[in-house]
Parts: sequence; C-alpha cells; structure tokens
Amino acid sequence: MKFPGKGLLDGVFVTVRNFVGSYFEKDRLVTVQYPEERVSLPENSRAFPFLVYDGTPDKMRCTGCRICEVECPPQCIYIVMDRDEKGKPLQRPKIFDIDISVCMQCQICVEVCPFDSIKMDNDYEKSRYGRFDELMVHLPDLLKSNEYYHKIKPAEATAVDAKLKAAAEKKAKKLVSPAPPATGTTPKTA
Amino acid sequence: METLYQLLISIKTDPSVGRWLGFAPDWGLRAVAIVVSVVLILAVFLTLFAFLTWVERKTLGRIQNRLGPNRVGPIGLFQPIADGLKILLKEDIIPRGADALCHFLAPVLFLTVSLMLFAVLPIGRGLIAVDLNIGILFVFAVGAASVLALFMGGWASRNKFSLLGAMRSVAQIVSYEVPTVLAAVVVLMAVSAAGKQGVGSLSTVSIVEAQAGGQMNASGWFIFQPWGLVGFILFFIGTLAESARTPFDLPEAESEIVAGYHTEYSGFKFALFQMGEYLVMIAMSGFTVTMFLGGYLGPGVDMPRIGWLLSIFWFLAKLSIMIFLVILARGTWPRVRVDQLMGFAWKLLLPMALVNIVAFGFWFYLGSGARGWFASATVLVVAFALLTRGGASTRLGKRTYRYSN
Amino acid sequence: MNTAFWIISIITVLGAVLAVTLRNLVHCLLSLVVCFFGIAAHYFLLRAEFLGAAQILIYIGAVAVLILFAIMLTRHVTGTEGPRELGGKWWMGASTAGIIGVLLLWCIRREALTAVLPPGDKMQGLVAVIGKALVSEWVVPFEALAVLLTAALVGAVVIALEETVHKR
Repeated sequence: MKFPGKGLLDGVFVTVRNFVGSYFEKDRLVTVQYPEERVSLPENSRAFPFLVYDGTPDKMRCTGCRICEVECPPQCIYIVMDRDEKGKPLQRPKIFDIDISVCMQCQICVEVCPFDSIKMDNDYEKSRYGRFDELMVHLPDLLKSNEYYHKIKPAEATAVDAKLKAAAEKKAKKLVSPAPPATGTTPKTA
Repeated sequence: METLYQLLISIKTDPSVGRWLGFAPDWGLRAVAIVVSVVLILAVFLTLFAFLTWVERKTLGRIQNRLGPNRVGPIGLFQPIADGLKILLKEDIIPRGADALCHFLAPVLFLTVSLMLFAVLPIGRGLIAVDLNIGILFVFAVGAASVLALFMGGWASRNKFSLLGAMRSVAQIVSYEVPTVLAAVVVLMAVSAAGKQGVGSLSTVSIVEAQAGGQMNASGWFIFQPWGLVGFILFFIGTLAESARTPFDLPEAESEIVAGYHTEYSGFKFALFQMGEYLVMIAMSGFTVTMFLGGYLGPGVDMPRIGWLLSIFWFLAKLSIMIFLVILARGTWPRVRVDQLMGFAWKLLLPMALVNIVAFGFWFYLGSGARGWFASATVLVVAFALLTRGGASTRLGKRTYRYSN
Repeated sequence: MNTAFWIISIITVLGAVLAVTLRNLVHCLLSLVVCFFGIAAHYFLLRAEFLGAAQILIYIGAVAVLILFAIMLTRHVTGTEGPRELGGKWWMGASTAGIIGVLLLWCIRREALTAVLPPGDKMQGLVAVIGKALVSEWVVPFEALAVLLTAALVGAVVIALEETVHKR
C-alpha cells in the first residue's frame, strides 16, 4: 500500500538494517584495513616488470638483447650487455635499469621479449623516500626466481614453462639426430 | 550529592546556601552561580560537539557498510583531537578583496548566537542556565539572528559561490522557521491548556513540567498525541533545515556550490562555522526533546534526593536518540533541490502546521480521551491526504506529439 | 538611569549614526542591525522581555533580511555606490527630524498612553493582558490589520506573477 512518504520510510529501514547488521554480520563491512590486510590481486594484474631466473640468479633468462629497451614507449629501460675481457658479448646484461617514475606498466616489454625473461610483477608497494636516484631500480632488485613467478601467476608461468621445455626438447632432438641435408631443388624457370 | 545539588541548583534560588560558601554579599553568590552555569555549559556542550563529530563519522560509516575512523585512538576516539590540532595549525587565508571586518566577525557572531541557545535548555530538574519567562521566543529570536551571521560570512568573502550559498541558506532558514514556529505554537497552546486558569508560559521549564504526570512520567509526553506527533515531525524537519543538515544541506553541498558561505574560510574560522552548525543541531534536538519528548522527565524523576540526577540521565538519553535520528537522516535521504525545498516548506509543511493547530482545537474541545484523540487524528490524516493529493504521481502523462505523424 | 542604560544607549545611537553615514550599503545595514539589538536591549532593561525578543525576531530576523534581499537584488553586489549628492538640502532632513523628535517627546510625556494598562504592577503579565485585549476590546482593529496584511501579501504575489506572465 503506497502512501506519501513511504519511500522515505523504506530508505530508513534499509539504512537501519545496514547499521545494525554491520555489528553482527561479519561480511557486511567491506573495509580492507590496509596495511594490516591486503586485497588479493587477480592473476593478470600488473604493477612493475621483473626479470625471471631459473634456479640461481646467474641463470637468468635475459640475454641482454635490448629488444625491450627499444620497444619501450616511454624509454624507461637502460641495458648494457656484459662483455668479457676480449670484448666478446656474453649473453647476459651487465646493467639493467628501469625507472619507476617513467614506467607506465604497458607490458609491451613482456610482449616482445623472445626469451620470456621479463614479466610483470604484482608488487605495487614501490614507494621510496627519495625522488631521484631511489626511483631507479637496478639489476639485482629486478631478479626474481621462477618459483616466485609461479606463485604470483601460476597459469601463465606454467604455460611459459611448457613452451620453454618444448622448445628445448625440439632443439635437443635436432642436435641429436641432425636432419638429412635438404634436397631442396630450385624450381627450374623456364 | 547534597553539595552537588547545592552547587548546581539551589545556589540560584536559595540565599541560605551563601553561608555554606562563605560569601556574604548577594552579588558574589549570583556571580558564582553564573560562572558555574556558563562553565558547565561550555565544557559539556563543546566536548559533546567534539565527541559528536566522532559519533557521526562512525555511524555514517556503519550505515555505508564501512568502518569509520579507527586509527587515532582506541576505536578512533582521539580523532576529534587530531582534527582540532590540524585545523588549528592551518593557514588562515583571507581573500584580497574581502571585507576584512565582516569576514572576521561572521564566524564569531555565528558561534556566539549558537551558544546563546543553550541558555534556556533545561538539562535536568532545576538545571537551566537562565529560566527566562520568554524561553521559547528567545530560541526563535536567536535562530533568526543567526541568519544574519551566515549572510555576513557569505557576502564578506567577495565570491559569487559564497554569496549564492549565503542567499540560499538565508532563504532556507527563513522559510523553514515558519512551520517550526507554528509547530511550537501547538505546544504552547497545550501548555496553557494544562496550566492554571488557562494562562500558559513561554518558559521551557513550564513546557517540560506540563508533560509531567501519567504512567512512569511518560504517557504525558506530547508526542503521544496526534497533534504532538505531527508537531514533532514538523519540528524535526525544522531542526534539519535550521542547521543545514542533509537533506537540506544545499547551501554547503560540495557537489553543488563548492562550500556555500564558508568557501573562503580556512583554518580556525572554518572550524568555528562547523562548531556553530553542530551546536545549533544539538540545541534544536534538545528543544525537540524538551517540547515533545518530555524533556528531562522519566521514571524516577520525582524521587527526593537523586531525582535530579536521573533527570539529567533521561534528558541525555533522549538527546542521544534525537541526534542519532538526525545522523540517520543524513545517511539515508538524498539532498533536495532548492525549488523542491521551497515547495516543501510553503506548500506542505505550512498548511500542515496550520491544520495541526486546528486539530489541537478538536482535541482540546472534545476532551482528552479517545474521542478527542481520534477526532484530531482524523483531521490530520485527511488534511495530509488532501495536501499530498493522495500520493498522486507528479509524473507527466504520455507524450503527445503535435507535428509528427 | 544606571550604567547599563548609558552603555546600551551609546551603542544604539552609534549604530544609528553609522547606518546613515557609512559608504558601503551592507555596512550600513549591519550597523542598523546593531541599532536594533540596542533597542531590544532597552526593552529588556524596561522589563518588557516579550517585546525585546519580538524585536529581535521581527526586526533582525525579518526586516533586516528583507532589506538585505532588496539590496542584493537591486544594487551592485559589493554594495558600494558613487558619491551621494546631498548638497545644500541638509536643512530639510534636519528640520524633519527635529519636528518628529519634538512630536515624539510631547506624545511620550502625556498621561493618556498609560491609561489603557490595568492597575497594579504594570509589567506583570503584560503579554497576557495585551493578548486578551487584542481579542476582546480591540478585535476590530486587529482583524482589520489582518485583512490589510493579507491584501498586501496577495498583492505582492500578483505583482510577481504578472511579471513572469509578461516575461513569457
């Protein structure tokens, strides 16, 4: 039965139910009390890049090819390849710097990396106490293990591992039984 | 207990108390009485204001499915202290073209006027700062004077938003004063009906005492009569409008007009405006309790030695309920537009207030039993139905197009 | 004639003088409000508390607000205006004020003004006496005033309505 003012009274009942219920039903309050509690982030969330290593930090997947540095839109990556005494490039970076204040988390570096070595991290608590030098992240801070990668992004890490294993097996098979020389005949042009 | 009673209450009326205090002259006794009353009012109600900001934020949070502030002290109890410190340390900015004297005086005047309201609020049996025999008229006069302080604040800022907000605030308060005063008139009529020789009084204490008697000192309250219930609703809406609380907070809504008349105020002057507003809210809630909910009356108030303590407790309990209702109104209802605001006051509340007076006449002349109760209730319900057109929708009908097809 | 009387009188007269001499129109209004407060204080001194509160409620709460709206709607918003032209006509105002002052003084000193009050303590229950007199002995002027006010209200509404109709 509608009477003038019924809408107002219904509103009051909703509010009072909310107020009283917030003391008795635990799931009514949606506040996440940061920093004691944290919201669990979904798997595809991205915050800042990190470099993956398999096992120990010197077995990093990154070869210093500098494709991510070239493709990065705000140009926040700086890579210098490690060279030995004779100047021959070792397939690993000596310097790998990413600037937090410039990186826009676009994930393009992840998409173009041919070695699946740079991935996006979930860790957003990257505040520092300085405004200039402290915002540049260097190579030791960027390296994180494959187990960590599995922990934050299980599905993606599993897929990457499977892909890498398949590629390694294919390469191993090729080395063991070399393919017969190609009998490719050039088509005769008349 | 006895000394407390003497210090608080009988010092004003009983000259023999002076001997206990050792004051020989009469003026010394009165000075002590005045100082005690003023200090008590300032201490109690300013602390209540600080505590009220915390209560409001926690209550609004719970209504909105979130916690309120809970970091600063245990469950956030020191939050008002943190707020006070913050606002004391803020820079006081005065716009260059502003009228410096008016800009300075406006919050001062507003706070003074808001504090004056507490002089006639009866907190307990015998506990009133000044028992003026024009109590309720003083309340409305002071409320009218606060209008000017708001205008001064808005005009002195030399800001179009401030001026517009001040004008809207003035229009709102002046419009809603009319049904409020008429709702109070019904109470005064009831007081004089209950008084000797049909002569009533405007004093707030006599309004409370007219509701005494009845079971548990509770059934004599005016809210249990139909004209009292309608008067209570009207006065409650008037409370919300006079202190510019949601749903009538158009003059200071952030999404509408930046901050209305206190846009250009920063630092402690802003805090003074907020303090004045909250104090008006507390005082008007107190007057609602006094006029309709029986003031400090409750079971056990007539007991000889501790009755007056119980009366304080009853008054504070009822005041808490009223303040909770005001905060609930803020969390529940959306803001009205300025034309809806005016229409509501002049087209619904004012006629209802006038009909309320007529309904009281029915109740008075048909006797205060069931017959009078039902007669006045019928008058009110019929008038409400007619005024709201039985809840007929104000939506437009189906559109007809004149030029197409 | 105690000190309170002198202090309140000085404030009232100062407010009134400032109200006619200040440049800024809104400042004039605010000093007029101070003058109204002073008059209300005089009423309280004379133990006519009802009149004092009614003075605050009506003059400051309504009349001052009305003047305020009139200023806001008709003047430049800052309230200042150009130099006022009074010229040599100051004697007109002075003579009018003088004549009215003499008339007022003569009226106040007559006895007929206090003849309507009942005997006894003149201030006790004055409001009840006025109220009873208004509805018994003076009911015809009371109702006539009510009709006059209603006519003024209806007239104001009609004028405002006409303007909106013309605008369309």
